[in-house]
Amino acid sequence: MKKLVLSILALVIFHMTVSAQETTAALQSVVTKLDQAKKAKDYEALEKEFLAVAEQQKSWLPYYYAAFCNAKVGFINQDDGESIEPYSIRGEEQVEKAKSMLDTVRQKKELSELFTVLSMVYRTKVFINPMTYGRKYGILSQQYRVKAQELDPENPRALYVQAWELYKTPKMWGGDKEAAKKLSERSLALLQNTKADVNPHWGKAENEELTGKNK
Amino acid sequence: MKANHLSYIAAIFLMLTSALAFGQYRISGTVKDDKGKIIPAASVSLSPAGMATKTDSTGNFNLEGLKGSQTLTVSSIGYRLFRKEIRSDSSVRLDVVLKPDTRTLNEVTISAGSFEASDKAKGASLTAMDAFTVAGNNGDLALALRSLPGAQQIGEMDGLFVRGGTGEETKQFIDGTLLKNLNYPRVPGVQQYARVSPVLFKGILFSSGGYSALYGQAMSSALILESNELPEKSSAYFAIFPPNSNAGIQQLSPNKKSSYGVTLRYTNASFYNSVVKQKPDYFSGPEYIEGDANFRIKTGKTGMVKFYTNWNVSDVGMRNPDIDNPTFRAGYQVKGKSIYNNLSYRSNLSDSWQVDAGMAYSYNEDHTVNSLINSEGQVTDPEHEALSYKNGQRLIKSDFAQGRLVFTKMFSNNQALRFGAEHFYNRDRGMSNDSTLALTDNLSAAFAEGDIYLADGLAAKVGARMEYSSALNEFVVAPRASLAYRLKKGGQFNLAYGIFYQKPLNDVLYLDRELKFSNAAHYVLNYTKKANNRFFRIEAYRKQYSDLVKTMPVTDNSGSGYAQGLELFFRDKKSVKDLDYWVTYTYLDTKRDFLNYPYALQPAFAAPHTATIAIKKSFPDINTFVNVSYAVATGRPYYDIRYSAGEGYRIFDQGKTRTYSVMNLQFAHLFSVFSSWKQKPVSGFSVGVNNILGTKQVFGYNYSFDGSNKVAITPPAARYFYAGIFMSFGIDRTSDFIDKNL
Repeated sequence: MKKLVLSILALVIFHMTVSAQETTAALQSVVTKLDQAKKAKDYEALEKEFLAVAEQQKSWLPYYYAAFCNAKVGFINQDDGESIEPYSIRGEEQVEKAKSMLDTVRQKKELSELFTVLSMVYRTKVFINPMTYGRKYGILSQQYRVKAQELDPENPRALYVQAWELYKTPKMWGGDKEAAKKLSERSLALLQNTKADVNPHWGKAENEELTGKNK
Repeated sequence: MKANHLSYIAAIFLMLTSALAFGQYRISGTVKDDKGKIIPAASVSLSPAGMATKTDSTGNFNLEGLKGSQTLTVSSIGYRLFRKEIRSDSSVRLDVVLKPDTRTLNEVTISAGSFEASDKAKGASLTAMDAFTVAGNNGDLALALRSLPGAQQIGEMDGLFVRGGTGEETKQFIDGTLLKNLNYPRVPGVQQYARVSPVLFKGILFSSGGYSALYGQAMSSALILESNELPEKSSAYFAIFPPNSNAGIQQLSPNKKSSYGVTLRYTNASFYNSVVKQKPDYFSGPEYIEGDANFRIKTGKTGMVKFYTNWNVSDVGMRNPDIDNPTFRAGYQVKGKSIYNNLSYRSNLSDSWQVDAGMAYSYNEDHTVNSLINSEGQVTDPEHEALSYKNGQRLIKSDFAQGRLVFTKMFSNNQALRFGAEHFYNRDRGMSNDSTLALTDNLSAAFAEGDIYLADGLAAKVGARMEYSSALNEFVVAPRASLAYRLKKGGQFNLAYGIFYQKPLNDVLYLDRELKFSNAAHYVLNYTKKANNRFFRIEAYRKQYSDLVKTMPVTDNSGSGYAQGLELFFRDKKSVKDLDYWVTYTYLDTKRDFLNYPYALQPAFAAPHTATIAIKKSFPDINTFVNVSYAVATGRPYYDIRYSAGEGYRIFDQGKTRTYSVMNLQFAHLFSVFSSWKQKPVSGFSVGVNNILGTKQVFGYNYSFDGSNKVAITPPAARYFYAGIFMSFGIDRTSDFIDKNL
């Protein structure tokens, strides 16, 4: 009798852990697809897949990645100010959701990653119309990148965002293309040995795109 | 005991295998959007069975359902929820189509007959600053709009001449209340500045046809201005652009709930006029002193109180050769005094109700002196009785007050119902030579308007406005309607219709009250497309004027007219890096029979073809901006209409002026001084020339009393030069925002 109950219990527990592994596997498969994404269409589809994983797995990561996808769409479409707003609104909401799942005191590295993406989401708001949205959101974007670096100075993704800022800002307002290039190289060096697991590991393609412009 | 265990095991067994027991019917299918694109990872569920799954990467799903009726629900972010009742006796295969959720897309905004320039502008839509920084505008509100289609290039008069209408047919509103006198008092042949600084406004809606029922008394167009909310930070600035200098501060309270600001402006063109030769001989001024102040207070969670006051004093006196006797000189001097106050309040009364209240009061005093000076330098009387106006005075004191209340009820799908009422009180008193002038009018209006969602991408705005004027003792009802239909790829069609009533001008009403409202019926159709930081717009319109005021042979409302045309606008912020340009073309065909016209004529303020181009190129690496603007218009008609005994008024001479062609160039450079200060001031200098090519402009002709002398109306000088510096200081408080939100 006892054996039967125990074996049934074991079956149930096995079923549950299998589900958990399934969902981490589900997240991993979408993250692997993310590593291959190139076009705005890809990121749009991936955002939906991340949200689907988010419904099953109570973790900050799927929302973090969904926000990242929205930020990427905004960056790719930066010349079409008309179309960006819905993406940046969703990105902001998703960062909020992810933040609510983090222990903001102890999970410093995770919060640093989240603030890096928030910085990018605010930058996409600037693309809507740099003249009118630029002042407010440009400052916010920079401030969150600074916060991200305070939490984790070696975060290569925050370094990439800093390099982007330095490269794109005109000289009078503090821009410096040479310093940007150096930061980008440092970011690439830090990215060398990252594992392609579920934790944030993007940045190589972005840095190469930025420094490619220098050549 | 044994029996219990058995049933216990049986129950668990049954539970674990329940899926198999119920899985008699399969429900499968594909989920796509309305464009045929597959939607992966969409949530698919069945109730009451409680089964749920997700579509795979090919958009397919597979569920096991119950026998009988159940509900299939499909959802995906960005799409509207899909629900379907299914009655199945066997396996079912369906194709589910999800429609996009319009709440995540931009709402459909109707734009027939209007140009919106606001700080919410996206892509290539205009912002207020875009309009003000076109070369040659000198930051002047009315001039800025001449680089948009619809407004004629009228160089010798102030105001906006829109689609064949006079400058009086356009009214300006600030936060809902009327700004009665936008420009300084008229000086014949010399364009005067606008009194209000454009920096105050976050939004401009320039409606050249078919504007909302919330506004009235303008037959041609409404310029609806929305003032700024609380500033993001405290700031101060000063600018010196001889002959103009101004300075101002804007202070934001530490708790960010209120702000106040003051600016002062002083202009004296005497020195400039002595350096750059002007056609008129100015003996006084031109001198303008102006100040304004504002405060804004946030009340409660959603309320905002805004107050704005503007006071100014002006003096322009000039002498020109007298048209009837070239050895004599005609002197004209106007001294103006004015104060304008505007108090507005906006708040959400509940989740779906909003109230907007506004009050305005202004006092305006214009003192005009005409004098005829003979060759010995003495004031003399003209020979003809009819020319007695050449020596005379006119003083008009004008009080104006307005109260306005608007309620808005919001519904789903961006629908809304707005209704309200307003009252205008106007009292003019004064004298013209020996006769006294007096006019009091109370005009009341009530209006209602609804934003209606008809279907996906199809929205309508329907309204009506009732107006009653005590001076005319007349009551009218005006319909307004417009429609917008958004196409799939970002283009949109807009349609607008409306009837617009307007009182005859006070100058006419001083002498005759037995008049009616004049009106214009507008029919407007346009197509706009915004994508990839480019903006294209084409608009066609027809205006039908009725009951226009005629002054000859008697003063009555027997005049009429029409205006029709086509306008094109194209703006491109993308094609060339750091280059922003727009091109407009306007075709206008208009005739009207009004005032002293013997029959319907093309009015002197209408040019058939007008084209403008505004180019702004920035060089971010060297912080330099170059702006060029060019406007060209075909000749305007001119007439010599005189009274001939026995025949009434007739045309003795007419013609067309030469083509109008003006190019303006402006160059600005930003630099940083005192960069060690915590609040880095932004400084810059700017130089520019209006009509840099020095082309000769003739706006029309004035005729002498006997018609023998014809004098061209030309600008006071061939070119206008300006150069100046500005500096602005700001105290940045955004770090407070970040800290509060961590």
